[in-house]
Amino acid sequence: MGIHGLAKLIGDVAPNATKENEFKNYFGRRIAIDASMSLYQFLIAVRQQDGMQLTTSDGDTTSHLMGFFYRTIRMIDNGIKPVYVFDGKPPEMKSGELEKRTERRNEAQKALEKAQEAGDAEEADKMQRRLVKVDKTHVAEAKQLLTFMGVPFVEAPCEAEAQCAFLQKTGQVFGVGTEDMDALTFGTKVLLRHLTFSEARKMPIKEFYLETVLEALQFTMDEFIDVCILLGCDYCDSIRGIGPKRALELMKSHRSIEKILDNIDKNKYTVPEYFPYKQARELFKNPEVDKTVQISWNMPIDEDGLINYMCNEKGFSEERMRSGVKKLRAARGKSTQGRLDSFFTVTKRVSESPGGSGGGAKKPKEEKKKGKGGGGRGGKFKAK
Amino acid sequence: MFEARLAEGGILKKVLDSIKELLNEASFDCSEAGLQLQAMDNSHVSLVSLNLRAEGFENYRCDRNMSMGMNLASLAKIMKCSNSDDVVTIKAQDSADIVTFVFESKNGDRVSDFDMKLMNLDQEHLGIPETDYACVVKMPSNDFARIVRDLSQFGESIAIACTKQGVKFSSTGDIGTGNIKLAQNSSADSDDNIVIDLQEPVTLTFASRYLNSFAKAAGLSEKVTLSMSPDVPLVVEFKVATTDNEYGYIRYYLAPKIEDEDS
Repeated sequence: MGIHGLAKLIGDVAPNATKENEFKNYFGRRIAIDASMSLYQFLIAVRQQDGMQLTTSDGDTTSHLMGFFYRTIRMIDNGIKPVYVFDGKPPEMKSGELEKRTERRNEAQKALEKAQEAGDAEEADKMQRRLVKVDKTHVAEAKQLLTFMGVPFVEAPCEAEAQCAFLQKTGQVFGVGTEDMDALTFGTKVLLRHLTFSEARKMPIKEFYLETVLEALQFTMDEFIDVCILLGCDYCDSIRGIGPKRALELMKSHRSIEKILDNIDKNKYTVPEYFPYKQARELFKNPEVDKTVQISWNMPIDEDGLINYMCNEKGFSEERMRSGVKKLRAARGKSTQGRLDSFFTVTKRVSESPGGSGGGAKKPKEEKKKGKGGGGRGGKFKAK
Repeated sequence: MFEARLAEGGILKKVLDSIKELLNEASFDCSEAGLQLQAMDNSHVSLVSLNLRAEGFENYRCDRNMSMGMNLASLAKIMKCSNSDDVVTIKAQDSADIVTFVFESKNGDRVSDFDMKLMNLDQEHLGIPETDYACVVKMPSNDFARIVRDLSQFGESIAIACTKQGVKFSSTGDIGTGNIKLAQNSSADSDDNIVIDLQEPVTLTFASRYLNSFAKAAGLSEKVTLSMSPDVPLVVEFKVATTDNEYGYIRYYLAPKIEDEDS
């Protein structure tokens, strides 16, 4: 999924490109969320105490509905305006990756059987989670629920991340909520991780800024795309023997995959026989997206429909659903808090170290305060 | 080398108390003109701008402009060790990564000093345009603090409506509504009068939480000035002053609440 090791690479070479921020500081922000990513997340993570998925009395899975309902409400309750983006057809180039995933799933299936035989509950649980597959019903059910909740969603013609990136680039949303780093490769300028995590995990939101990444690496967008392909993307195999560090070095000296291929020792590095990096590059640069999409942010909430669907068909508690809807409604009437940045402009960005350029600057003893407090955009420690 | 000696050290304590609720850390910019600080809170809703003029200090020396990034919670710990009538001296070498605070008791028989580590801060400075505000209200700062505290019980936002007749603060919430009206009074010299300078009536709504944090500065001066114009941030200004000396000011900017454009 995504770009192999990109988040770590950014953390290592461009620490300024990431910032942590509290969930509650995103009030008033419109955010495009990769729904397919969330579906997997919910199916895997939303479980009962015994580790089994939530189901109706007939055995239909409802973990995803639970996730979409509560985590969307958490966002809306905090003033965030989400729009979900669903995957369309996978691009043809992804078939290799998809095959690999099927393979991995088969392996997990075997491992599961083995674990069950051996009575290893922990391993069995782990494998069960790996077996999770989103099917059409899950998608349809999620869409149905979002419609009742009055939450907008978009169907991407192809990859959801690409559509999200388009919405962000055209200013229709502030950022893109996904765990998948290839949203950056598709050109998302602000990527938000951990947005759909459970509140109980108390994970701060992690922001990635594309422009700062490019600045720190001193790459153009095209060069950055090439780096991502070298790291390993969903659309073609990567060159064996080239890890993140080598990939960066090679790109710094050669500036394109073509030149790298001309210059590397083919005996040392195995270039895959079929290496359609040009097509992959094209896919990142000009992905198939719906450019005419109109997002309506103020869709009606259908409370009766929602109660009927969630309680009568899916067996959720009516009381809880009603209190959720109450929150949805309450958020509608509220005025939003403005931000100073929309009135005043940043005149200079300072990242000074104490005592000017003196190298004696030590990291302060008080590390970032966990939870409350730390990690704002206004005042954050530099990593070094 | 930077060195500033403040005869009324208690001022520093009060200044810190009035910013530490909004900011976790901030950098103090030292120049020949004095000490300055500008920082936004984490959510970028409010901004603190503090200015302490060099003339306010008993002794002030700043050879080279420098920024001292401080953790305000740590600073508060140090300030706690001082008495409010202590003489305070702040010292730092040009390329140091620590700042020293020296507290001397009035009669000089007790001297304590504390070093604090400075920190690297990544800061965005905002350019604040000169604005001619549509209405400027000057009122006793204790009244302001009281009103904000009282109305916060009702709702999470407070509307401030300013007309020729006076200024009205109101808040609505689950338990009901509260309104507090203050009329402009003519007895010009009385201490608790309210003066309104009005070009056009303005009504704006703000989050109670931030107004409450601003009210922490009420101890710094008798008066507070509220400046408002339609659709721009509110400015709440307190002079930093005692009967003997005027040190500078602390200004808070607060972004208003806006009607949801989508609904």
